[in-house]
This record gives sequence, structure tokens and C-alpha cells, in this order.
Amino acid sequence: MVKAVNGFASIDALIHALQGVGYHAPRQLATSVFLAMKLQRPLLLEGEPGVGKTELAKALAKVLGRPMLRLQCYDGMEQREALYEWNHTAQLLHMRAAQDTNTADEIEREVYQPRYLIRRPLLQALQAPAPGAVLLIDEVDRADEPFEAFLLEYLGEYQVTIPELGTIKAEAAPITILTSNRTRDLNDAVKRRCLYQWMDYPERERELAIVQSQVPEAGPALTEAITQFVSRLRSMPFANAFQRSPGIAESVEWAKALVALDTLTLDPEVVQDTAGILFKQREDVAALIPLIDDLLQPEAA
Amino acid sequence: MMKLGDARSGKLPDNITGFGRALRRAGVPVDSSRIAMAIEAAQLVGLERKEDLHSALRTVMVSRQQDLEVFDQLFEALFRNPELAQQLLAQMLPKVRQGTPPSRKARVQEALAAAKIPNEGPRKESEIQLDAAMTASDQQRLRHADFATLNASEFRLIERLVRDVPLALPPVPGRRTRAGSRGQRPHWAAAMQQARRFEGELLWLPKRTRRPQVLPLLVLVDISGSMERYARLLLAFLHNATRGRPRAAFAFGTDLTDLRPAFRHRDTDHMLDAANAAIDDFAGGTRLGASLATLRERHARTLVGRRTVVLLISDGLDTGEPEALESEVQWLKRHCRQLLWLNPLLRFDGYAPLATGAQVLHRNADGMLAVHNLSRLEDLAQAISRLMRR
Repeated sequence: MVKAVNGFASIDALIHALQGVGYHAPRQLATSVFLAMKLQRPLLLEGEPGVGKTELAKALAKVLGRPMLRLQCYDGMEQREALYEWNHTAQLLHMRAAQDTNTADEIEREVYQPRYLIRRPLLQALQAPAPGAVLLIDEVDRADEPFEAFLLEYLGEYQVTIPELGTIKAEAAPITILTSNRTRDLNDAVKRRCLYQWMDYPERERELAIVQSQVPEAGPALTEAITQFVSRLRSMPFANAFQRSPGIAESVEWAKALVALDTLTLDPEVVQDTAGILFKQREDVAALIPLIDDLLQPEAA
Repeated sequence: MMKLGDARSGKLPDNITGFGRALRRAGVPVDSSRIAMAIEAAQLVGLERKEDLHSALRTVMVSRQQDLEVFDQLFEALFRNPELAQQLLAQMLPKVRQGTPPSRKARVQEALAAAKIPNEGPRKESEIQLDAAMTASDQQRLRHADFATLNASEFRLIERLVRDVPLALPPVPGRRTRAGSRGQRPHWAAAMQQARRFEGELLWLPKRTRRPQVLPLLVLVDISGSMERYARLLLAFLHNATRGRPRAAFAFGTDLTDLRPAFRHRDTDHMLDAANAAIDDFAGGTRLGASLATLRERHARTLVGRRTVVLLISDGLDTGEPEALESEVQWLKRHCRQLLWLNPLLRFDGYAPLATGAQVLHRNADGMLAVHNLSRLEDLAQAISRLMRR
């Protein structure tokens, strides 16, 4: 495995290294990651759920041997959950303890020491010692617009401003990956600061490789059948019947479930029994059942 | 094959700059800092492999999924044959630079502001498959809305209504907080400030209160036959009255029309023009169930985190399957904060919600208001306002 401090020498080296930790990246995606590291820009990954956006960040952290920090976004997220918060109770205790012996100026200095600072993921990422960290800002579309605006300073300059301490700038630019499921469109200002990559469902060979490496217990025949079934689900004319097609995560889960059930070949009954793993909507499961026979038919040449 | 030249000859920056400009002309937003970054990216990945250069330029220069296709085509064209690319661009140009009609024309030349002669006529009839149940309406015509721009008296009416009829939802407490005396949670940062002033003493505990939040609004306007008379001014009123708040508007008749692009115009006349072009099922029948299904399939993300208030303006006469309508209405209800139904009783005088569609809405709506004897737009506006204040 190639470990590089300042990224990788070439795109091929990166693909190879990611493969070493079980992440099969298409060349296009690898190029984006390579450039994000070289140009020190955040990378925005958009795509349907379950196509490996979050996994990429994890794999990258593993390959680079850097800590991964994860900021899960949600509606109404505030600065104190993303960046920092003062440990107010400890500060008040300190103040009470010191009020008889120290002057007011001294107390103020002591109370705003970094040791009373509770660091949240963004600050942790900025203060990570070289070579830096991998910061995953997950599902940024779930956060609201004020939070996006708050991210701008970080994304553009890799720095944040804390009134009591001043501006904190990253020693080493953290590798920043933002993911979005596109439940809403992101602000252009955020997009302008990032490189962009749209992640699609994988082509069949890549999915085969992924399922094989994640669930080696499934035999080659079963793995082949699973990937064929799932990729036909996602293609026309079948895809029209469903609200949401299953992602790679679902294929892997399904493979694990079929192994647990000691299945050797796919038959309509077993597909129907495990449909809840592929589809999480009642309507989609209902739509699948009449199509199973067609989907299991050998493909016309 | 390789027309971009290599870095040594110095042609690469020129070519990428040219490519960036071409993208911009094709409607992809690429600014000069992006172009500079693209040049740097191209040098980093090298020019040995065309696909690497392709992905490198793409990840830097494109930031929306809908632009990927344009990028790919243009990149391909520029690589193969720069002249072909120019032709391609020439074809794209008229689409990008759509001239906007001069605004205010109607108001300036009020005397000439009579409705446009409908020259479109019935069209697209053959393209659209109609439900068998729908043929009951013999005046069923699929046609473009014929919205003239507002004349001066209409403009004044809309302005007056917007001023007199407040269309504001009461703000609700949001997830974010600010300092406030009636809050529930302690405001530690303020407590610290206070303790510093009084030598470590806390005289009272400052509180945080939840910041008020404006709810996003989704308006679904029926533009089928019975609503025909009001559709234009109703849209103009909604466009003005909901200005400056998060909103989305859709029109529906036999199918759903996304009016968000139209509503993005600041000028009401421009909005009407754009709505005109977008709507192609004006004054036809109503297929509420099918329209809601389209909303669910294509525009589900206009419903923001169960906060959206949905305002449905329709008489609830649906010609589709009642079961399908019921399941769609229930889906909508599950995904919004409130489903408000305004029922302008236009079709009959002695109307009771007997029609199946109306019954479905009656069962599921969180708030419902019916307006009898609707004769003026003002009544409709007042009703919307009353419904939203509940």
C-alpha cells in the first residue's frame, strides 16, 4: 500500500491504494479526489443515497493514515455544535475559585484559555497536527441555509474566527469532503468553493468487485446473480416502477442477508422474502413483486 | 486528435480559457477563477490520457448535475473538431439568450392592453393521453393559458390587495436559539459575561429562547376550467403577496406545471409571460391525483423538512381514481406541516362536498375554507388570508 504524506504521485496510485482498503473508485472519481488533494480544495459529492459517498471519505482516511472527523449535518445546526463551545460551567467554577486571589484581568485571561474550549469537528480538523485530517461534512443538504453560509469561511480559507481567541488557520489543509443527497439544491457560494463530482450507480463490473470484496462468503455465482438483478432493477424499463432504486449499500446488505439465509441461487420466493432490504418504501416493495419473474429471466442477448 | 496543445507551447492555457468561455456561452456558470483552476488541474493530471483531462476539467468547471451533459458534449466536440464546436455553440445560442419582452408595455399603453388574440388554439391534443373519465367534459381543451400582462387598473388592484390583505403565516419557534428572557434553556455565554461584571456572582440566569422561523409555503393552484376566470389574477396576487418568503408554486389541471421558474421573475408581467409559456393544460379538466403524483415523483424536495405549509386552491372535482387521490393526498399530508384547502365553490350554487375528490380532501385537510358566491378576486384573497391565519 502506498502511503503518501502529500497526496499521491498519480491517479493510478490513488486508485490502487483505495482498492487496497476495499474501495473501488472509478477513474473519474479518483481524478476528482486527486485534484482535491493537489489543489487543496473541498470536494462536493452529490448522488443518490447508497452510492458510496461517505465510504469514500472513510477509505481515504484509512489510505492516508489520517484521522477522520465527521460532522453529521441536521436542520437547525448551530456553530456551537459544528465548531466550538466554551465549557461554561467549568469557567464559572474557575471564576468563583479564583475571585479572592486574582485580579479581574487575570481571571479573564485564565477563563478564556484553550483548555476551556470544547472542540467540535470543524475546529478539530483545523487544529489537527500535520499531515492534517480528513473532514467529512455529511449530508450538507440536511442543514439549513444559515449553516451553509457559516461554512463559507472554512471552505474558502480553511480558517475560522473565534472572537475570544482570534482567527484559527489550519496548519495543514484538511482534506474536506462534503456529501449531499440532493434533497435540496445547495447555495452557489458553497459550490463555487468546492470541486464537484456527481456519483452515479456503479457499472456492473465495479459493483461485482465491490460485493465480492465486501461479502467474500457469497460464492461467485450468487454475487454475479445479485449484481445482475440489481443492475437490471436500476435500468429501463424497470427503474420507472420505483421511487428509489437500491444503491450499492443495499446490494451489499442484500448479499449478506442471502448468505445468512444460505441461499445459493436467486429464486422468486427468496427475492420476495428479502425485498425489504432492497426497497424501503411499501409502494416500491409492492411494485417489485410482479416484476420479479421478468427480472430473473436470463438477459436477452 | 489532440487539439488543445501541450503546456510547453503555451497553448494549453489559451485553449482552456477558450473552452471556459464556450461553456459560459452555453449557459454553464464558469468564472475566471475556475478557469485558472482548470489550467492548474490540467497541468496536474497531464495530457497523456484524454479521459483524465476530461474528468479533471469537469470536476473543476461543473458544479451542477444538469450541466454535466452540456460539458461532455462540448468537450467532445472541441477535442474532435473545434469548428464543429463553434457550430454547436451557434445552435445553442438562441436558446441561451432569450430576449425578454419589454415590461410595463401594457401599463404604458393601457388603451391597447386588450387580451391577446389566442393564436395558439387547441394543440398538443393528440400528444396527451386522456383518462376515459375525463371525456365527460366536452369543452375539454388542452391549450396554453392566455395570460395578458396586467393593465393599469389590474395592476392597481393587485397592489391594493397585497397591501390590504395580509398573507402571513404566524412564525413558529425554530430550532435555532437567541438570547431572550422567556426562554427555557440557560444562556451560558451571557451568564459568563454577567459573572465577569459582578466578580463571579450570578445575579440571575440569562436564558435562550427559540428564534422565530418563517415557514416555507407551497401553493398548488387549480387552473382547470372552473378556475379559468381567476387563474391569471390569482397568480399575480400570490406572486406579489408571498414575495420575500420561501415559496414554491405549481399549477395543475390535467397535469402539474412547475411555476417556480416563473415565480423567480421579480416583475409580475414577466411572471405571467413565463407562466403562459409553461402551462399547457389551461382550462381543461382536473386530475388532482395524477398532479399530486407528479409532485411526489419529481418535486418532492420542494417540501422542506415537514415544515412546509401547503395551500391547495381547488374545487376538488377530480376525474381520476378516488383511491389514487386518497393515497397521494395522504402522502402530501405526511410530508408537510399543514395541508390547507381553499375551496372556491364555483361550479354549483348548492354545493356540498359530495364529489369523491372533495370528500377525500375534506377528510385529510388540516384546514378547509369554502367561499360561496365568489364574484371578486378580493373575496378569494381574503379567504386565503383567513385560511392561513388559522
